[in-house]
Amino acid sequence: MPASRDTIESVKDAIYKSCLLLDDFKFKDWLELCDSDFTYAIVAYSPEIRRDMTYFSGDRKQLATMLDLLPKHNTDHSPLKRHATVYDVAVDDSGKTAEAITSVLIYQNMLDGINSHIDAGENRLFVVGRYLDTFRLNGGAPKFVRRHVRLETRRLDKGSHWPL
Amino acid sequence: MPSRNAAQWNTPPNSLRIDEFVDSRIYSDPAIFEEELEKIWKKSWLPVCHESELPEPYDFRTLTIAREPILVVRGPDNKIRAFLNVCPHRGMLIERRPSGSFLENQASGNPKHMTCMFHGWQFDMKGNCAMITREKEGYQDRLSRKDLGLRELRCETTFGNFVWVTLDDNNTQSVNDWAGDALACIQKNLDAEPLEVFHYHKAIIGTNYKLWHDTNSEFYHDYMHYFNRITGFTPEYFARKNVAHKNGHVVVGTFEVQYEKYQLGKSRAELSFPGLPPNQWFMVDLFPGANFNLRGSALRVDVMTPLSADTVMIEFRGLGLKRDTAEERMRRIEHHNSIWGPFGRNLHEDLLGVAGQGSAMLPGSEPRRIIQARHENETIHDEVGMRHFYQEWGRRMNRLPSDPTRKYMEAAE
Ligand code: FES
Ligand SMILES: [Fe+2]
Repeated sequence: MPASRDTIESVKDAIYKSCLLLDDFKFKDWLELCDSDFTYAIVAYSPEIRRDMTYFSGDRKQLATMLDLLPKHNTDHSPLKRHATVYDVAVDDSGKTAEAITSVLIYQNMLDGINSHIDAGENRLFVVGRYLDTFRLNGGAPKFVRRHVRLETRRLDKGSHWPL
Repeated sequence: MPSRNAAQWNTPPNSLRIDEFVDSRIYSDPAIFEEELEKIWKKSWLPVCHESELPEPYDFRTLTIAREPILVVRGPDNKIRAFLNVCPHRGMLIERRPSGSFLENQASGNPKHMTCMFHGWQFDMKGNCAMITREKEGYQDRLSRKDLGLRELRCETTFGNFVWVTLDDNNTQSVNDWAGDALACIQKNLDAEPLEVFHYHKAIIGTNYKLWHDTNSEFYHDYMHYFNRITGFTPEYFARKNVAHKNGHVVVGTFEVQYEKYQLGKSRAELSFPGLPPNQWFMVDLFPGANFNLRGSALRVDVMTPLSADTVMIEFRGLGLKRDTAEERMRRIEHHNSIWGPFGRNLHEDLLGVAGQGSAMLPGSEPRRIIQARHENETIHDEVGMRHFYQEWGRRMNRLPSDPTRKYMEAAE
């Protein structure tokens, strides 16, 4: 049975909501969109070493702890803002889970990472990639169970302490 | 403590010895940078990649040392050789991809050959010129293939099977002569079993390469890292030795890292490298800009490629054991990433540190003193590592690091 428009829209809504919350540093609210068994990873393929790589990974609990510790770490505070477009949502036959592919660009709005007098206020493209998301649909209230951020970018000058 | 006016700011405190500070022009002067490429980077052995990046015959990697493009290739005889990645015809790059295999057909050449796409000259894996298109018609008997081979570079595969290259044919040292003294502390761990690279990323930072090397060799910046403050500040930690080795290299190690003190930490004992006691580490800083960091379960190797006085590319690699199961490998990767990954705790902070220094030491900025005067019995927060590095730098450059307008040799007398 083809998935209903409403189901597909509910998945897209969840993805866009996640972007808005991440853009606004509302990490706790972001985690609320995720089920208790949620896992997150930043992955990339390297044509240099010809291997799939994992740059970061964690479950929901590890992410929550990490986000709590962030204020104790020194960080480039230049905010990250996303531009995302959901390219595909595939609902499985049982209608219980869905997978989505989202193209994402993340921009860095320079603040304190280099010399703020010169750079602050400037935007730089930070990373290019895709969100590969898996959802549990819960009858119209989808929850993230997995997000893989698959980056094309492998030059990561200062990386980030924040989830992408 | 009062603040200082210009004259006071520019006068070194009397109590500072000449080797306890450097002049920031060594980080910012473009002329000094050019001289460093000639006198240091073109003369040293550098680890450029790992053999697992070119595992099969005909596999290759492309790299750069001191602006010279380099091609590393594994021959059908399994030997890894290095060449200038420059076509002897009209100077085009022979290979443009970062890695790949010459077994594959190429648009303008034959399999099992390196082909310059421009006019189709072809070379074999030993660097012999194998084919010149329309050779007789154009060159008659005046030019012959045997005079048009590639420029081969000295290349060794050693110390955990890293591929080392030097541009200097007249360098009489082997890699072992060059770095063996410093790498001896981890040689048995690196060579016990084949290693495999699992992580690669790069950063291009607006800072001088030496500032990154300094950050790898000074541990006093523990204060920048919440992770280190919480896990490392024990009496055993402060007792760790910081030892100068010949040729400008430095080794710091070893102590037991208390990973479980950091809320996200886990002991890495069970996946320690062969022969390495649980949760120990060694940091080997190799002159002029590479670093082997063996910390329990993962090996990190940084290789620097200086691009200008105020820009450096740093390549970060992570390695595990070739025989790792998928599950072991994943745990090693997690260990590696939590501190050293591009989204890990410490690397981000280290790069912020050197980017901040770079911003304050741009070419043409006022010369200032950079202090490296900590003496703590050659233990971890002692700045002996930097002092040792700049002694070697001074000798090679014949410039005094604390005043690069003076000759090192004369000042030493
Ligand atoms: S430049 Fe390479 S074949 Fe002409
Ligand atoms: Fe550090």
